[in-house]
Amino acid sequence: MIETYNILSPDFERDAPRELMLLSIISQSFFQPFSLEDNLLVILTALTSGSGVGFNRAMLFLKHGDRLKGEMWLGPRSAEEAGSIWEVLSTPGIGYVEIIEHNRALVNKNEDTLSGRLKGLVYAADEEGALIPAYAACRKEILFVREAASEPLVDRRFLNMIEVDEFLCIPLLARDDIVGEIILDNAITRTPIMPADIKLAGLCGLIAGNYIYSTTLHRKLLETEKMAAMGEMALFVTHQLRNPIVAVGGFTDQLLKPDVPEEKRLRNLTIIRDEVRRLEDIIYQMGHFLKVSLKEPVYFDPGPVLADVLDSPQVRVKAQGYALNIKLEPCLPQILSDPISFGEVVRNLLDNAFDTTPAGGVITVRGYRKNRSGFAFSVRDTGKGISNPDKAQLFRPFFTTKEKGMGLGLTFIKRVMDTCGGKIEVQSRPGKGALFKLIFLCRERE
Amino acid sequence: MKKNILLVEDEKALCLLYEEELGREGYAVTAVNDAEAALAELGKTTFDLIITDIRMPGKDGIELITQIMGLRKDIPIIINSAYQSYKEDFMTWAADAYVVKSASLDELKSKVKQLLGD
Repeated sequence: MIETYNILSPDFERDAPRELMLLSIISQSFFQPFSLEDNLLVILTALTSGSGVGFNRAMLFLKHGDRLKGEMWLGPRSAEEAGSIWEVLSTPGIGYVEIIEHNRALVNKNEDTLSGRLKGLVYAADEEGALIPAYAACRKEILFVREAASEPLVDRRFLNMIEVDEFLCIPLLARDDIVGEIILDNAITRTPIMPADIKLAGLCGLIAGNYIYSTTLHRKLLETEKMAAMGEMALFVTHQLRNPIVAVGGFTDQLLKPDVPEEKRLRNLTIIRDEVRRLEDIIYQMGHFLKVSLKEPVYFDPGPVLADVLDSPQVRVKAQGYALNIKLEPCLPQILSDPISFGEVVRNLLDNAFDTTPAGGVITVRGYRKNRSGFAFSVRDTGKGISNPDKAQLFRPFFTTKEKGMGLGLTFIKRVMDTCGGKIEVQSRPGKGALFKLIFLCRERE
Repeated sequence: MKKNILLVEDEKALCLLYEEELGREGYAVTAVNDAEAALAELGKTTFDLIITDIRMPGKDGIELITQIMGLRKDIPIIINSAYQSYKEDFMTWAADAYVVKSASLDELKSKVKQLLGD
């Protein structure tokens, strides 16, 4: 017998040890499709929430080059604000997304005061004789500072800002390198920091450090992939642009000769016009691909976006001569993505289906709930299908099996799905059509 | 008697242009859009020269050249590609000339004449 458990949402009992709850929240950051900043905020939240058992406030410094820079400050500005925040965060069943939304609002509120001032603080990250807070990062040791006002190692600017006498500095390490530092205090409740709190905060720091490190590596990897794609693109563009240019140049030369018959003149001009349009299309698509910057995923109702695309004149024109079946579940859940990119994704999938299916074929669009947290959107066609070697290359930039394709559509779809933590499934056999299924994270409508 | 040129090019507008322009120079041009069709034509007709693109759907120009070399070593071949970079691929050295596609057909025409001794 086999039992399966979800890695992402361990459902601990409410009276589970707080250490376990804390580690559970922080570990989730590794798997969530939100930005580094959002996930770091959740880590700070984990350290500060818990109806007073956590720390009151948390500050984050990140290492940029050889500098340690203040990044964000999470925590209430007063005892009243603290009460309301802790109440929200202790609500039973509160999920990761709600915590993120709550935090974004809180940080925006703090931006002009606490976080704004924190961002002005920059320290050398590996200098002998560094002052606290940078001292902890330089020594790679946790520091518990008491009676800060009389401690000469504490930077006065920092002290004037946080206005507490007791605080904890947790260096964030990954592979023995400093990636940042977290400062924790109990400025509101004035609860003394206990040895158990220090050990727990140290453990959280270790996880947070590794999370920052792996995310930074991942970003660098994406950047490298992008650069490689740009190189490939330069080569591809040469070919794509050169063919129409040869046609335009050649047919124009013919027109410049004397006594060109009217029929030939018209034919050449038509070819030139078509080739210029093709050039324009190539330039538009390249520009679109280069400038597309994906937005942060949010939960939204996909219904209006789907209706917009499926009812668009472009789709209606293309659908002539095909049987287009649309099967959307009534009352769609909210899905996690960027609404504009989602529309583009749907458009791209439909374009591919029409382009690879001969007239008279059937194209089936489905939108349905796959399980509690997954919404599937699929497009099935009865076109030429995809061979196994082609399947392996489908998402590579500039790979195309279409006569006129640029090979950027599926690359774009993959980027969108990666950004929102979704999945893509492709089922196809040569001559038997293809099914592209996108699975988005979803939740009930609000 | 006109000399026969086999043109292998997947862009239909370019096929038309090359057919007319080389036709004007006094050559008979047979245009096909892929390597398979080229091999079929080679089995039917005797050609004096082959002009081939490299990037085409299905078998590419380099594979085509390799196969032609196995069949008929005596027909001169001109590679006509949008890519400069294939010049570095030693498989393209088997061809007699490499002309990068250009809005002016002068270089291509002069290579054709040179290889056909005209």
